[in-house]
Amino acid sequence: MSGFLNVAGVHKSYGAHHVLKGIDLDVGQGETFAIIGPNGAGKTTLFRVMTGEVAFEKGTITYDGRDVTRTSAYERVRLGMGRTFQVARIFPDVTVEENIVVTIEARGRAARDGTAPWYRVKPSGSLVDEAHGYLSDLGLLAKKDVEAKFLSHGDKKRLELGIALAGRPRILMLDEPTAGMSPMDRSATIELIRDLRARKNMTVVMTEHDMDVIFGLATRILVMHHGETIAVGTIEEVSNNPVVREVYLGEEMYGAEG
Amino acid sequence: MNSAKIIALIVSAATFVTLPYWANQGIMFLAGLVLIEAIFALSWNLLFGFTGLASFGHAAFFAIGAYLTGYALRAALGVPFLLLILASGVLGAAAAVVVGVVLLRRTTGIHLAIFTLALAEVLRIIIGYSTALGREDGLASIPRPSLELGFMTISLNSGTSYYWFLCVAFALVAWLMWVVCHGAFGRILVSIRQDPERASFVGVNVPAYRLTAFTISGGVAAVSGALYAPWAQIVTPESAHWIHSTQPMLASLLGGAHSFFGPIIGTVLFSLINYLTRNLVGLSELVIGVTLLVIVLAAPSGVAGLFKALRTSYATKPGAGAQREAS
Amino acid sequence: MSMIDIYFTLINGLATGMAVFLVAAGLTLIFGILKILNFAHGSFFMIGAYVAYTIVGSNPGSIWMFVIAAIGGGLVVGALGYVTDRLVLSRLRNVDEAYMLIATFAVLLVCTGVVKMIWGVNYASVTPPPTLDGALIVGALFVPTYSIFVIIAGLLVFVALELAIHRTWLGKLLQSVANDSWMSGLLGINVPLALTATAIVSFMLAGLAGGLLLANQTLSPILGESYLLLAFMAVVIGGLGSVRGAFIAASLLGIIESGSSLFLPNMPGMATYVFVILFLLAKPQGLLGGDRI
Repeated sequence: MSGFLNVAGVHKSYGAHHVLKGIDLDVGQGETFAIIGPNGAGKTTLFRVMTGEVAFEKGTITYDGRDVTRTSAYERVRLGMGRTFQVARIFPDVTVEENIVVTIEARGRAARDGTAPWYRVKPSGSLVDEAHGYLSDLGLLAKKDVEAKFLSHGDKKRLELGIALAGRPRILMLDEPTAGMSPMDRSATIELIRDLRARKNMTVVMTEHDMDVIFGLATRILVMHHGETIAVGTIEEVSNNPVVREVYLGEEMYGAEG
Repeated sequence: MNSAKIIALIVSAATFVTLPYWANQGIMFLAGLVLIEAIFALSWNLLFGFTGLASFGHAAFFAIGAYLTGYALRAALGVPFLLLILASGVLGAAAAVVVGVVLLRRTTGIHLAIFTLALAEVLRIIIGYSTALGREDGLASIPRPSLELGFMTISLNSGTSYYWFLCVAFALVAWLMWVVCHGAFGRILVSIRQDPERASFVGVNVPAYRLTAFTISGGVAAVSGALYAPWAQIVTPESAHWIHSTQPMLASLLGGAHSFFGPIIGTVLFSLINYLTRNLVGLSELVIGVTLLVIVLAAPSGVAGLFKALRTSYATKPGAGAQREAS
Repeated sequence: MSMIDIYFTLINGLATGMAVFLVAAGLTLIFGILKILNFAHGSFFMIGAYVAYTIVGSNPGSIWMFVIAAIGGGLVVGALGYVTDRLVLSRLRNVDEAYMLIATFAVLLVCTGVVKMIWGVNYASVTPPPTLDGALIVGALFVPTYSIFVIIAGLLVFVALELAIHRTWLGKLLQSVANDSWMSGLLGINVPLALTATAIVSFMLAGLAGGLLLANQTLSPILGESYLLLAFMAVVIGGLGSVRGAFIAASLLGIIESGSSLFLPNMPGMATYVFVILFLLAKPQGLLGGDRI
């Protein structure tokens, strides 16, 4: 219970169907923590519990030493929790630049330059510079004036990462960051996340199907099965765990991919 | 704003301001109504085009402002006219807060539509029942006020002077709405319209922003009603009728809901169609209906979007199809 | 207030309720399957009434002529439904909700315009045929025969729809389309055909309702609006897309409406709207919401 993000005894059920049966986890600062498990194991529900999207019956969530169990999603974001979605969620009808600008502005009055007169509609120069900073980190600066809906799939994923970064997160929640990517895009994304987390000193929590991504990024892994934790530990620890080998890695790693 | 837009703005402003010199009283009256309905449409489109909420009972807010102002002017309470307009706006905004707190928490989409429609109808029935508000006959022969500016008093008694007052009021409200729609607040609203869940995951308190937009919208709609009462000099329960609620929707869609100027363009077009087809019963509905259908089926971004599309394809360069939202 | 008043209110309410249901039936059907909230439904109701009026005139000779005229209205409007579906609805399959509302609103305007051009703006009225013009007197209770006719018509339409949806092959097919049109398409069901058929049936119901409710009303280009709102409320309260729900909700609304004219004669409709607001606050999904029809 000393970690940065802590989940303790979380139960969640939909009617008679128990999706999470008392999950505990503890993510330390600077870690990259991956949640894996077969489809239907409860990964996505657990993820959504941590981000504040799903109400649950029992348990607590602690973030940076404060109880956020009843804190709504947007407030958790304001406390420094960034999130991306499995299928990239961006603002399709505005430009790439405005996607980032609005995210910075959403951080509050200070971010949008509280000294500017109220009738000034253009974002301040420093704000735009900050936005351009994120875009150049992600290699999207050249496309800043493109309406976001016209971006390629990979660029949309990158832009979404930029949206998450523009919130200045201390912890980044990535829901299958490489879902639907080509192998080339996938390795580029691994590099990008590795680079960003080092430079911005971020903790990362992610769900992922792809083993290359997990091996490439994760410092610790939690394996779920039928709503329960069956193993937590480093890659070596988990892959040597006999239960895991039986119920999960047996099917996933050495069997069919996905 | 590009230069074509600025020229269009200057030309239309000049047309409206000089109108009393070259048009007859009837047309001037219609032009005044256009200004009022355009404000009403702007208020509705702040919700629909910018926040993604469809109110089907917006006429209720209009009626609140119209009845408050109409009643006070008839009773000759001596309240300065500008204060009356402000009070109308505040009352409309207060009503919107109450409705919004109850409704926006759980409903959007079709349910919000039905709720707002039912509430507006309730208001209309209450007005029709209230003797003080003239029941079904409404408040007739509302006097036109004077404008007390402290250092001078301008009588708005003549049609022309009130018309010019409407022009100034329209310009002011439209400018305020422009700031609301295009600043950081407006950008956040637009992000909510596009994807409320994503917006909450960049840290936006979505219900609070929706409620604020609803409040501003209700207040501005009430202001348009307040401007209407002394212009038409009669207010009836019809102003709260759901058919009136559909006016700003039609205008916004006709003009283009995702563009700030769309509702204004739509209101003008709407009135032009009505005026040009006035001699053949049924033709105006037919023309407006068919135009709307063509727009929804072929160019869902409205007339403003059509212009933008034409301009874009005119200047086609690689990536030109991806210019930023007209604003 | 006496027992007689209560009976009278109930019967009157049922008659109103069945009238509302006749309009709501098609509305909820088209929502359940096409997922379109059809604003123009009231207009097609009105066109049905005008067509029936054109067939029988102001003084229908017999109940059969009256019913045949109503069926005529239904057929004509059903044909218009086919045209509307081809020209408009079929192009709205994957469009944002708001645009569907606006498009059907545009259709409403077109209908109003056309009705004004063909039949003018003057009011017309139609008396019930001789058989339906009287009243049934049971003790001290006075029941207009026409009310009984409307109640029976509403019940018949409800039973027919229930049987068609739950007992026939076509109904089951439509149910599967309503549940998941994508999956149905995968299973080899001709989804576009099913959608068009629904549109036609829904419009036919509107036209038929116009003809059946023709008597005792003022025929004018705003006729469509009068029932449209009540029918809308019935559909939403019943649970969008549920025929059974619409039936129950329409009956409820009818009785409330009729009770409200007993208790609040000066505020027509007030009780109904208040009921709708409170009901939806308590139960936003409606009586029988979900993907059923």
